[in-house]
Amino acid sequence: MYKLLLSWRYLRTRYIALASIISVTLGVGTLIVVNSVMAGFSHEMHIRLHGILSDIIFEGHSQDGMGNVEALIAEIRKVVGDELAGVTAAVHVPAMININYRGQMLPRQVNLIGVDEATYAEVSDFRQYLLHPENRQKIKFWLRESGYGDDDHAIPPSGWIYRRLKAGYEREQELQRRMLNNAGFGDRESGVGGTEGEDREGGAPVEPMPSENPHPSPLPEGEGTTVATVPVDPLSQLKPHSPDDVFNPEKDQYTGIILGIAMASVRQRDARGKVRDVYLCRPGDDVQVAFASVGTPLPKILSENFTVVDFYESKMSEYDSGFAFVPLKAMQISRGMGDAVTTIQLKLKPGADLNAIRDKLQARFPAEEFPFRIQTWRDMQGPLLAAVQMETTLLNILLFMIIAVAGFGILATFFMIVVEKTKDIGILKALGAPSRGVMSIFLSYGFSLGLVGSGVGMIGGLLFVTFINHIAKGVEWITGQEVFDPTVYYFSKIPTIVEPLTVASVVAGSVLIAVLASVLPALRAARLHPVEALRYE
Amino acid sequence: MSSTGVRSQESGVRGQGPGTRGRGASAAAITEADPQVLSTEYSVLRIDGAKSAPSATSHSALRVPHSALLAARGLFKSYRKGRVEVPVLKGVDFSVRPGEFVAIVGQSGSGKSTLLHLLGTLDAPDTGEIHFEGNRIDNLPARGRDVLRNKYFGMIFQFYHLLPELTMLENVLAPIMIRFGVWNYFWHRREHVHRAKELLDMVGLSHRLAHKPRELSGGEMQRTAIARALITQPKLLLADEPTGNLDQQTGSEILAILKKLHREQGLTILMVTHDQAIARQADRTVRLVEGKVAA
Repeated sequence: MYKLLLSWRYLRTRYIALASIISVTLGVGTLIVVNSVMAGFSHEMHIRLHGILSDIIFEGHSQDGMGNVEALIAEIRKVVGDELAGVTAAVHVPAMININYRGQMLPRQVNLIGVDEATYAEVSDFRQYLLHPENRQKIKFWLRESGYGDDDHAIPPSGWIYRRLKAGYEREQELQRRMLNNAGFGDRESGVGGTEGEDREGGAPVEPMPSENPHPSPLPEGEGTTVATVPVDPLSQLKPHSPDDVFNPEKDQYTGIILGIAMASVRQRDARGKVRDVYLCRPGDDVQVAFASVGTPLPKILSENFTVVDFYESKMSEYDSGFAFVPLKAMQISRGMGDAVTTIQLKLKPGADLNAIRDKLQARFPAEEFPFRIQTWRDMQGPLLAAVQMETTLLNILLFMIIAVAGFGILATFFMIVVEKTKDIGILKALGAPSRGVMSIFLSYGFSLGLVGSGVGMIGGLLFVTFINHIAKGVEWITGQEVFDPTVYYFSKIPTIVEPLTVASVVAGSVLIAVLASVLPALRAARLHPVEALRYE
Repeated sequence: MSSTGVRSQESGVRGQGPGTRGRGASAAAITEADPQVLSTEYSVLRIDGAKSAPSATSHSALRVPHSALLAARGLFKSYRKGRVEVPVLKGVDFSVRPGEFVAIVGQSGSGKSTLLHLLGTLDAPDTGEIHFEGNRIDNLPARGRDVLRNKYFGMIFQFYHLLPELTMLENVLAPIMIRFGVWNYFWHRREHVHRAKELLDMVGLSHRLAHKPRELSGGEMQRTAIARALITQPKLLLADEPTGNLDQQTGSEILAILKKLHREQGLTILMVTHDQAIARQADRTVRLVEGKVAA
């Protein structure tokens, strides 16, 4: 009884001890905040990494791709069995995209991916990251009339509206220029808007088009041959629509391309410090893409025009600045690879054991015999995931060290309190309190200090996590410094996940540290000789 | 009280068997003060506590007067100061009969406080034996000595030694709180508080229950300490210079309380003092000179 009463009284009257556990409080609070934010980040990252990558990836070693895809997919279906949710084939090639921005060509190094519109959505969350709401329902490589963007993005007017205006403006400019020059371009003009051009395109070997949307071939024949025969600097092709092109940019589009948003925009601060996205191109603009044809007999650089039909934003800067998507068929035809693909992606049913299925597939398609690698998305992003995991672990260790330091603070304070209370300890012993009882006074004192400290820390930490975005805004407002810089992270809000188990173990760990820190002083108190303690002044 | 002491001593020696020990019995003991039960508890304590608990027939015990409540035989005690061993007690033989008011007088450094600490089992003698109700207590294990101090001895000190964090009422209740666990204490809380208030009333302090020691005068603190010493209805009150820190007026008030306790309730009191005038108030005076009892 006296133990509880006394440790309660000590708790109430020794504020210095409360001060010594503020570091426990801070440590616990920080740990909870850090863990929640890290968990939130890594969850978002998992979703996004996984979303783009699907579950299991067959990666061909060669750029020429693997043939006989149908048979391969049939075999995969047989091996994986019921747990397969979707399969798609794709072509991955390195490429360079040139974006025409105010008369300058801005090169971007990308991974050009030809995807099958019909099946790609089955294996990945790709379409959810597209900016046009209708494209999120169904991927299409056609330019939409308008309506790009969402709450997060104020994209300037895009789509056909923009394309027509731009084309009209460019035609005017061209006419003006011609009038000024009045010579040299005369005979080249005749083709503008000509109908024969459209006829020729109608025969292009691309999938059928809606008739009211007269359809662009990957490249007008003339340019295609030029490229094929003259392996020159692709920059020589950079005149976006040469006047003799029969292609009418007001009505036609090239093959659609979907760019990562980080490739097409620059996020920066304006003079007032507001974060703004500057778009280098927008849906409706044409870009020029250079990539290699198949390697047999000799790879050639192909240069083609594409029309940007949408952006995607996965908020993984690695993806958003590195991937561009085009229709699979267009890629296969341009590169002359027949129906070969370089990548096959599998989506499994939820709950399926990725590694087991990967191992099954690897057994069926041994690496010695088949020219591709089979990996899960975790294997592919292993280093990144491991890095995040390691970061979390490190932070946890560091912060627990802070709490351990706080533990030494408690130790010192408790020694002081024991020394201060020496006489009281003598009195208690004279009144018949056993050593164990005296010890437990200080142990329960330490326990309650730890409990108070980590309890307050837990509440503070959880409140902080709950209102983290408000707090970030508040700090921004006070200091003028952006806490969560959207030019660095592509999340507009700080993602957090509170894991009750983590919170519980953090609290338990800190209470344990506080109790451990009070063990030595408590032992000292218990060992005090009653007579000496009573004489102590 | 004297006859009761003898009777209970006998029952203690004969031993009533460990089966009668229990929380219920101890709770009853504090309220009803049945000496039979107390003694039973004590004998149990001795039996399971002392490793070499000598029986009443051990050679030294034979010389203990049968009627003594507390007896010391051949006590030696020395303290080390660096390398030098300073003898304090050099063979003290001494006993207190039940119901006696004994004063131990001696000059500073004569070892009277040390003797009191040894008798109160706060410290152990180098050689010699201490017997309480015929049972040897100086070699009891720590737990046994704790229980002994808590239940059978009441102690008051020159510097009062109240716990500064507790109110007066809580200070008086402290020995009870030490003895009982949380549930047991709260179960009988009303009886305990009632008794504590009675005791405070008796020492004349019923109006200052909620005050902390620092708000009290020296006399008030010593009265509180007396109430605290009496709450467990001890068989022996050990007083270490109870008036040493008080003015004469207050000191004699405290002494009056002690005398009243002795006279009206037959409480056995052993008081240490350096003041001859105060020592004369006692039934008997024992002079301690250079670590020995002077004739």
